[in-house]
Amino acid sequence: MTTRTQTATLDALRQTIARIERRPSLKDTTTNSENVAGALPVPSGVMHEVFTDATRNGGATLGFALAQARHLLTPQRPALIYIHLLRDSQEFGLPYAAGLARFGFSPEEVLLARTATITELLWAAEEALACQAVAAVIAEIRGAPKQFDFTASRRLSMRAASAGASLFVMRYGTGREASAAGFRWHLTPERSAAMPFDAKAPGAPRWLARLEKGVLDGRVNGQWLLEWREHGLLECVSPFGGAAEHAAADRRSTLHGSEPAALGDGLSQTG
Amino acid sequence: MVLNLPLWATDCLRRAEPSLSPDLPLVLYEKNKGAMRLVALDALAAHAGLRAEQSLAEARAQLPTVQAREIDRSWTSAVFADFADWHSWASPLVAVLEDMTAYGDLVLDITGVSHLFGGEEAMLERVTGRLAAMGITVFGAIAPSIGAAWAISHHGRESRILAPDEVSAALSGLPVSALRLNGEQVAGLAQMGLKSIGQLYQRPRKPLQARFGVSLLTRLDQALGHVSERMTPRLPPAERFAERRFAEPIGLMDDVLAAAHDLAIRLGHDLEREGVAAHSFHLFIYRVDHKVLSLSVNAGRATRDPSHITRLFAHRSERLEGGYDPGFGIDMIRLAASSVDTLDETQMGVFETRDGASDLDRLYDRMTARLGALAVVRSIFVDTHVPERAIKLAPAVSGETNSVLPNTGLVRPLRLLPSPEPISVVAAVPDGPPAAMVWRRVRYGFVKASGPERIGAEWWRAHRRLDLLAPLDAGKTDRDDKPEQMPLLPNLEPFDSAAATRDYYVAEDDGGRRFWLFRLGLFVPGADPQWYLHGVFS
Repeated sequence: MTTRTQTATLDALRQTIARIERRPSLKDTTTNSENVAGALPVPSGVMHEVFTDATRNGGATLGFALAQARHLLTPQRPALIYIHLLRDSQEFGLPYAAGLARFGFSPEEVLLARTATITELLWAAEEALACQAVAAVIAEIRGAPKQFDFTASRRLSMRAASAGASLFVMRYGTGREASAAGFRWHLTPERSAAMPFDAKAPGAPRWLARLEKGVLDGRVNGQWLLEWREHGLLECVSPFGGAAEHAAADRRSTLHGSEPAALGDGLSQTG
Repeated sequence: MVLNLPLWATDCLRRAEPSLSPDLPLVLYEKNKGAMRLVALDALAAHAGLRAEQSLAEARAQLPTVQAREIDRSWTSAVFADFADWHSWASPLVAVLEDMTAYGDLVLDITGVSHLFGGEEAMLERVTGRLAAMGITVFGAIAPSIGAAWAISHHGRESRILAPDEVSAALSGLPVSALRLNGEQVAGLAQMGLKSIGQLYQRPRKPLQARFGVSLLTRLDQALGHVSERMTPRLPPAERFAERRFAEPIGLMDDVLAAAHDLAIRLGHDLEREGVAAHSFHLFIYRVDHKVLSLSVNAGRATRDPSHITRLFAHRSERLEGGYDPGFGIDMIRLAASSVDTLDETQMGVFETRDGASDLDRLYDRMTARLGALAVVRSIFVDTHVPERAIKLAPAVSGETNSVLPNTGLVRPLRLLPSPEPISVVAAVPDGPPAAMVWRRVRYGFVKASGPERIGAEWWRAHRRLDLLAPLDAGKTDRDDKPEQMPLLPNLEPFDSAAATRDYYVAEDDGGRRFWLFRLGLFVPGADPQWYLHGVFS
């Protein structure tokens, strides 16, 4: 009897906290996992921060954000909005519609917004999140601008929670400031999967995603080795130990040292 | 209504430079072939006997107290253009008559407008009174034809209104130069002893035409209203607009937006009554001191929703930042709609499915209004193999849609660098895949690579130079008869399609990063190939 009242109280408390935080409660997070396809049962209406160590990994973070946003697209919410600073376009490269089409995004769904200042970028992100037809917003923020402080991130995460659209903020570097993001990821690219019929060609992209903040699938500080295929995200080997082992095995199997010379000889014509 | 502003150039300079003494005469001169000639005089200078075309030295000798300034034609015409636009507070159709004097004559079509001011007399008084209060010398005339009003305003030296049956009587006493004739025609008529317009009425027309050309008769007919004269308004007339005048000038942008919301409601009702909606809206803000500020917004989907229109203007006004200057206040605003499209009333049905498309269009409108049209873009596929041209970015509000289907079988990167970056590459075999590269001063060693995918340059462009497109406004001839200066053609090599052929490779480094790089040109033994990085994969 006592345990039942205790759980009831605990539930009520959780609900209260969730209401305060305007975020789906942790319980919902786990129950959502069936209706979300793919490996990561991430609910919608959350703000993510995706960190990676250097800007040269920008392709991997964009892929990771897109892979998650793909599951959020519905007929009611058909749009995905990518916002970046105009001066960063050469630094990161622009999302390329021909590459996106390969992963199932049609160019009508993806809108690019280029702003001149961080303030405008934050405004655009908030405005886009508030729209009922937007599934996800991807915002690119290089460095640690003064304007993107805790208040700004809190504002954005509340907007995401109230409208039900997800926000992915892509961050670069090793510094971490206080933020109100529901999930904070640290992403590193991994060796790609083997390409069938051609061992020397790069295959499907793989990333090692470490959850630095937030609870997903009942795990704190979870770590996933993910692979992105045309039909969605795939978890390669689930828990942490296995992933590292897998990565090591993968590394052993691929070319090393003097191998590039061999690469040139047996040049693949599958291109 | 014709407004004759004989001393506009000097009046306007006096307003701009309060340091000029109002009691001393002011003249404007221009350097012409080394001589400094007077081009504009104020009333005091004209009264003292100076004339235009006199040399400056002569004028100084004649009148030692004269203040002289060199005329700044571009500034003066810009201010005059603003000034002319500002007159659309009185009537939407405002034109500048440039055939006689450069700055001096404004024509306002006041058909159906004067009752708003309480009759023609009240309107004329209001318009000229406002200008006179600003220190601008003005003579106004209202007449059934532009020619008659021009004649009265220039030669009557007083503001007057002519009724249709008074025209021929009023004109008969005026000199022939009041017909907007050129110097030769006036001199020729004087030789014949024809001094006043009334003497021309009874003359046979054929000899007059033979001697002075058809333009004399046209001018006469135009003045008498036998032939109608076209005026070309400066601002395109808006068919659908709403406007509000303020008893007290307002200054804050918030007040302007609040008033714009009221106007949007009124305009929305008008549009709804006609069953139409508009794509573009323009807000004209008239300042007390003859300046107009105009803001335009575009909507991707035709709309007449007042709150949406107001929100677009609110976002647009935020982009003004420092550009908003109410001066001494704003006394009128006008909201006009253009690019009108039919939009029937729709009923919100029970079985309506919410697809969010209209929400999305509104979001794009808002973002475009705040960030600018080129900041909110969508990718459009173009039918070409050259990667950077295979996609173009089109403004989201332009409504352009994809007509070309992409080839999803090709390996294309997730991010494409807008311009390929040169890299130094080590390849095991000269025409083989890359083994390592240095990009942005960091070395990457590759463990996997695939390719090449050869993308040939477009052969139909081979051996051709860059074309220069003809300027769009070629038909408009410039007023100053400078010879057409040819744009400088850079000495470019003709396009060589073989040298622009690219071999693309996908290469993965030991950290799992995948790059899209290419070697430029066909492989030539002994030559050092050039490599570029063009994109990154996920």
